[in-house]
Amino acid sequence: MTRWIFTVLVMVALMLLAMVRLLKGPTSADRVVALDAINTLVVAAMIVLAVVFRQFIFVDVAIIYALLAFVGTLYIAKYLGGEL
Amino acid sequence: MTPFLLLQALVLLGLIVTAVLIISFKDLLAAAIAFAAFSLLLSLEFYLLQAPDVAIAEAGIGAGLTTAIFIIAIRGTQRHEEKN
Repeated sequence: MTRWIFTVLVMVALMLLAMVRLLKGPTSADRVVALDAINTLVVAAMIVLAVVFRQFIFVDVAIIYALLAFVGTLYIAKYLGGEL
Repeated sequence: MTPFLLLQALVLLGLIVTAVLIISFKDLLAAAIAFAAFSLLLSLEFYLLQAPDVAIAEAGIGAGLTTAIFIIAIRGTQRHEEKN
């Protein structure tokens, strides 16, 4: 049980590291990539937390989250590409 | 300190960092990206407090819809804040 908590702790620490790129990134593309990295880490952390809490329904939240958070990245990418 | 409290402290630290980033960016696209990261971490915090339905609502509205609306609004107006 506590082993999985430490896995999530490492993931949250990696999110904070990706946030440094969000802070410094000179161009907007750097910030979008940092946001996408945080996104993926949040989804992975949610699945591991479902193991920690031993609740099966919590995995569904991660699935919905992965589907919906993709839309935001898609819109930013379309804006940067000049298509929107 | 238990690992669970340490995990929540790290997520709250990330929330504070992204909230300061949102109000300090002058590039509005970067501020919208930072807001998306803030929404992601807030959803993770709701998840840690074992409220998965609130986390789903926050993920759908915060990460997906609000970012798309902000990007459309930035396209309709101007991207950089004017200096006083």
